[in-house]
Amino acid sequence: MALLEIRGLYKTFGHGHGAVPAVRGVDLDLERGETVGLVGESGCGKTTLGRILVGLTTPTDGKIVFDGEPLDGRLSRPEVRRRIQMVFQHPAQSLNRRMKVSTTLAEPLHLLAKADDETIKDRIDETLRLVGLDAGFLDRRPRQMSGGQQQRIAIARALVPDPDIVVLDEPTSSLDQSVRGRIIALLRSIQEQRDVSYLFISHDLSTVRRIADRVAVMYLGRIVEEAPTEQIFEDPRHPYTKALLSAVPTMDLDDRKQRIILPGETPSPSELPGGCSFQDRCPLVHDRCRREQPQLETVAAGRRVECFAVAPDAPQRPAG
Amino acid sequence: MSLLDVTGLTVGIRHSPLDILRDVEFSVERGEVVGLVGESGSGKTMASLAIMGLLPPGIELRSGSVRIDGTEYVDQESGRVRRTAGQMTMIFQHPRAALNPTMRVGRQISRVLELNQDLHRGAAREEAIGMLARVGIPGAARVARAFPHQLSGGMCQRVMIAMALACKPEVLIADEPTTALDVTIQAQIFDLINELVDETGTGVLFITHDLGAIAEMCDRVTVLYGGQVMEQGSLRALFTEPRHPYTRFLFEAVEREVDLRVEERGVNFALTGCRFGHRCPSAHPACVEFPPLVEVGPDHRSACFLHAEAATGGVVDGSA
Repeated sequence: MALLEIRGLYKTFGHGHGAVPAVRGVDLDLERGETVGLVGESGCGKTTLGRILVGLTTPTDGKIVFDGEPLDGRLSRPEVRRRIQMVFQHPAQSLNRRMKVSTTLAEPLHLLAKADDETIKDRIDETLRLVGLDAGFLDRRPRQMSGGQQQRIAIARALVPDPDIVVLDEPTSSLDQSVRGRIIALLRSIQEQRDVSYLFISHDLSTVRRIADRVAVMYLGRIVEEAPTEQIFEDPRHPYTKALLSAVPTMDLDDRKQRIILPGETPSPSELPGGCSFQDRCPLVHDRCRREQPQLETVAAGRRVECFAVAPDAPQRPAG
Repeated sequence: MSLLDVTGLTVGIRHSPLDILRDVEFSVERGEVVGLVGESGSGKTMASLAIMGLLPPGIELRSGSVRIDGTEYVDQESGRVRRTAGQMTMIFQHPRAALNPTMRVGRQISRVLELNQDLHRGAAREEAIGMLARVGIPGAARVARAFPHQLSGGMCQRVMIAMALACKPEVLIADEPTTALDVTIQAQIFDLINELVDETGTGVLFITHDLGAIAEMCDRVTVLYGGQVMEQGSLRALFTEPRHPYTRFLFEAVEREVDLRVEERGVNFALTGCRFGHRCPSAHPACVEFPPLVEVGPDHRSACFLHAEAATGGVVDGSA
């Protein structure tokens, strides 16, 4: 059984006509020591999903089982909070700018682990080394550090209570390319040492490719495709995944792939059409997609796709 | 003679010896897309603001020349850039922030037409709707009556492009035009810019930190670091045979985790010599001087003493 199992998860913000369904029936597993990349464009519900896992948002419906224990309504228990931690996109905003690094890192231990001062000091020193910083940083405040250093502190803060799962919400998006690579390398080495699982949320496909074992692609609150990382990038099956991958500019001058330009924009979640939510932009759309919601079906070992036009274990062809 | 010719552009902080841009030069030909690439703080946005005459208070143009079609736009006495009267227009990174939130978008475009094309109000309104349709906005007449907050980011950027084109500019400066947008929308905007360049022969200065976007869009590229031109040349020369240590570092950072001795130290603007010197793997004593741009191949120049040494030593290296 997986470390974390999400089944039929829903989250709707607001009521009535203005209701925004942000997450609409997500099933996802996360194994121990595994990295799952959650990919999608803005407004697809990926951040909401991450926030539900750490208990910052309460789900409308659905089941989350963490290490054999159902989490419904118990997300705020300190022991569970200790074991599921989160790193946010903008380190400058997620760190308390009045706190020194030492206070920032001690706080989770005080609150969640009830540790004594000696243990706390050891743990902070150890974690600081783990993220590649030295004790000289303990007296600094966020504004005295670069963006990359701030993000290392944010990662250290998540790691200090020794979690089993870290939800990383766009941890590298606000960083420069040269710093981004270092953070990814750091996250991988931490995973090797601590056997921690990551849910890596990002819109940046090339970063996800470098860190994830498995990738789940979200569109308008639903996972439309899920597969081992290399399979997603080498052989995407869902028409949305194909368009998304083809839209990423590449640096290879001699391999100018044909871009698939999707018409229009992502519809507003509060005005979803009936049937498949991708129907108005899909090149393979047919009548059934407008009537019926496709379900995430297993098409091959470890691969699930939510599309009527994708046949199990066969090359893709539009169904009649 | 180039369409846009920028030479010796030096910009600094008033009452301070610090230079933000030092001796920056590049040119844009008609119907050409020229990329300006660099990490945050490299001065790419400052360069565009300087040539538009939009420098923020406290920042001054120290010297330099900005010519459009041979006409000088820097007033040598006041050090100001004259109004380019629609010869050169700009689109920004955050389209919604660049639009007036209290004015309907159609009116914002028609005002530009009234001022620049001397149209009266009714004709300008018609023309504005035509411009919106031309940048691929469905239902242009309806969208013209919308306020910016009612439109998506992609739509707002189309409105910005329509407004920029309303002046029939010779040169379009696009400062990270798609950084705030999703990749599928980015692909649409790239397509639109390419189409307009083909149709109108406008020269585009394309500013970005994304090397993939450069490869996708540009004919020639200038690489900036710390306000200095590190390397410039044709897209192919730069991407297949990067010569400057910084450019190489930048490319490697995309491909894998780079181990530079000094990471994230940022730019030291007080340095008199090469600003990449303190991060550079091949730095040597000569680097306390400012290296000039030297030819390293056909349509390919690089600012590093490594090349100068090779030349004086009688060795014609690599690219010749």
